[in-house]
Amino acid sequence: MIKLQNLTLRYGNKLVLDRFSLEIPAHGLTALSGPSGCGKTTLLRVMAGLETPEAGTVDGLSPARTAFLFQEDRLLPWRTVDQHITDVLPRQRRGELADWLAFAELSGEGDAYPTALSGGMARRLALARCAALGGDLLLLDEPFAGVDPERTARIMARLRDLGVPVVLTSHQAPVLAECDCVIGLDGPPLN
Amino acid sequence: MNKIIQIVIPPVFWLGVWQIAAWCVDRALFLPGPVSVGRSLIALAQTADFYLSAGATLGRVFWGLAWGTAAGAALAFLTHFSPWANLIFSPAVRMVRAIPVVSFILLVYLWVARSAVPWVIAGLMVLPVVWGTLGAGLDSIDKKLLELGRAYRFSRWKMLRLIYLPALRPHFSAGLLTAFGLAWKSGVAAEVLCPPAHAIGTRLQQAKLGLETANLFAWTLTIVALSLVLEGLLRKALERGNRT
Repeated sequence: MIKLQNLTLRYGNKLVLDRFSLEIPAHGLTALSGPSGCGKTTLLRVMAGLETPEAGTVDGLSPARTAFLFQEDRLLPWRTVDQHITDVLPRQRRGELADWLAFAELSGEGDAYPTALSGGMARRLALARCAALGGDLLLLDEPFAGVDPERTARIMARLRDLGVPVVLTSHQAPVLAECDCVIGLDGPPLN
Repeated sequence: MNKIIQIVIPPVFWLGVWQIAAWCVDRALFLPGPVSVGRSLIALAQTADFYLSAGATLGRVFWGLAWGTAAGAALAFLTHFSPWANLIFSPAVRMVRAIPVVSFILLVYLWVARSAVPWVIAGLMVLPVVWGTLGAGLDSIDKKLLELGRAYRFSRWKMLRLIYLPALRPHFSAGLLTAFGLAWKSGVAAEVLCPPAHAIGTRLQQAKLGLETANLFAWTLTIVALSLVLEGLLRKALERGNRT
């Protein structure tokens, strides 16, 4: 179990987490669901170690061994699709490139630059890069935004086959339906 | 408009204006015509000293450009990442940028050998330009990409190679082109005021003292031609670098 206990965090004067506690299964696919701006992204960022709460603890995970998919694609305009994947792979795992391109259904697009990709393709590349980075836990913020439903279902199945626990946020009903556990959130602040 | 016409018409027009002005002034000492300047240029180009002087000036300008660029880039990174370095060095670089080049030439002449003055001056003019453009580039790098690099556990070298250097490339290219023009002008100006044995600036000064106005124009044309050709080559090299 990943245990978030009594987390408090504010952006300026805005209280986003107010002594918030939650237990998340450390296996399978878990979804955090809730209205826009309720604090889902903040929660993922705290788990990834990108935000430091004023108070509270996070147990059961190591931020240094998590892979985080940002809400925005954050692709490097000067790197090709292939390079985005190999940039996060250690030398001894470079042979996995074709597998990760297939994972995101981007085989044949290896030489393309991000400006040549559609919104859905860019999202899939960002997801493949995050999954290729790997770790003990994948934290995915809106991983299937802009991806068509059929592809979403296929990629979710592949995500499950990786065998790595996943915590994701989503507004898409088909995505939530595929998850093992859905946690509804309401805020801000989350409390 | 036909491209050949676009290339040919402007120089023909201005050469015509020059020739008419020379006829009106009618004193070669003040304004020699393009034909007599052309003759002087051909005569100069047949001497070994012409190439020796041009080569030596080029060497000094490029050496100044090289050290000024290296120092400016190093200072840009230092002042961007270290608040203490920023506090100490930024006012000094801004002061260097504000000091007139003539004051610098005369001051540097007191401190270094005469032959070294041109490349020291060229570098001093280049340094603040490169520092300024790279500093602005570093400030404008997308913070979200930097956060990505940290979250994806990029090493410092990887951050530099994958994020900083590609993002800085357009800023560096623009800064280097501006700096090249400054290095060239300030380097030749320093050669005029502190003439080394072989230099275009020295020949300019000699032509002026000897009232050889046609030679003065011929050397000036040489400076302009070299500057345009080298700037064009530099621009092409930078464009090619930006494409890869």
